[in-house]
Amino acid sequence: MSSEQVATDVVAGASGDPPAAEPKAGRRISPRWVSLILAVVLVDVIAFIAFPQTPRGGAAGEACSFPACFIQNSLEFPAPRTVVDFDPSAEPPPPVGVYFHPSISNTILTMWLVMAIVLAGAILMVRGARLIPGRAQNVIETVYEFLSDFGVGIAGPTARPYIPIFAAAFLLILFDNWIGLVPPVGKIDLLRAPSSDVNITIGMALVSFSIFHIEGIRTLGLGGYLGKFFPLYEFRNGIGAGILALFVGLIELMLEFVKPVTLSMRLFGNIYGGEVALGVITTLTVSLIPVLLISLELMLNAIQALIFSVLTLIFIVLAIESHHEEEGHIAEEAINLIEGKEPAGLQPAH
Amino acid sequence: MEHIGAGLAALGVFGPGIGIGILAGMSAQAIGRNPDAAGQIRGIAIILAAFAEGLGVLAIVVGLLSIFIK
Repeated sequence: MSSEQVATDVVAGASGDPPAAEPKAGRRISPRWVSLILAVVLVDVIAFIAFPQTPRGGAAGEACSFPACFIQNSLEFPAPRTVVDFDPSAEPPPPVGVYFHPSISNTILTMWLVMAIVLAGAILMVRGARLIPGRAQNVIETVYEFLSDFGVGIAGPTARPYIPIFAAAFLLILFDNWIGLVPPVGKIDLLRAPSSDVNITIGMALVSFSIFHIEGIRTLGLGGYLGKFFPLYEFRNGIGAGILALFVGLIELMLEFVKPVTLSMRLFGNIYGGEVALGVITTLTVSLIPVLLISLELMLNAIQALIFSVLTLIFIVLAIESHHEEEGHIAEEAINLIEGKEPAGLQPAH
Repeated sequence: MEHIGAGLAALGVFGPGIGIGILAGMSAQAIGRNPDAAGQIRGIAIILAAFAEGLGVLAIVVGLLSIFIK
């Protein structure tokens, strides 16, 4: 028996024959799995007969043609539902555009729920923290160390003071994304995955936008920070260099405002697109195939949370580094080179 | 009509798909050449894939908007 075959056997044994996997030659799916699959299909059929689907918003007993109407029923629309309305007498919203309406939507309600869960979980896990960690403390320390190593590895040692922001954003967005995969969420009016609502993700992106600009101004000072976008000091090197630097600065200023747009749209598009795909697949297939898609979504949602928080961290690091320092550093290196000295310390590559 | 528009917008996913494919192939190659740097390469690959994928998601969002916003 070759080593490869041993490996596949071990994997197959460890995962206990996944239901959708085809039976290998000479191996059979265990009767327990067959009966489970049959039971699920049976429940599907019973539900299909006992609770016939009706078109969305239609009366009971109205006919519903198979693919199109079913898919319509399992889709969520981008706009969230309102749970508590503080201003019921307001005129109906315009079909297109941004408007303000004081209300609590189901997405923000779910987000508060997630915040409470994450906060309570974190507090319970670190309560009575000791030098020799217990089991719960060990878990959260492992998670935090992984995040800390990942963030510092990508954004460099200057990112170390901002690791708590990064870790908090990661945990919140991770559970925001994951709660959409827990069955009642998204299927009832009261609960829905927060990051599948574009309002929530724009809010998150604006928070991250404020954080990195405030940190930039706090570190460099207002003049120094504005100097990154309006580098008037370049005019000392001549009119041409000054105009060129001003142009580059304006492009950078424009890119600053593109950052929150891409941050929010990336998160919203991925999570909402994932939910739509999951809804369509759930409609078109029996209940065991979507399980595989759910496990794929678990991974993708975690990666999206990581991306949002890592990008926030990188934008903070980009905002707090100054152009002057870089130039000074290069000059210092050049002087060291001339004098034949070693550089004082290795600077991380940005 | 808007459904045709949404379908056309979804074609925008081609580019990021190719880009992420190239990125994944290159990073796998890089890890093969230098397995010690696997962690760093993986982190950078995830971030760059996010940038490429953001464009694809923009196409999807345009498609969704053209369907749902009348």
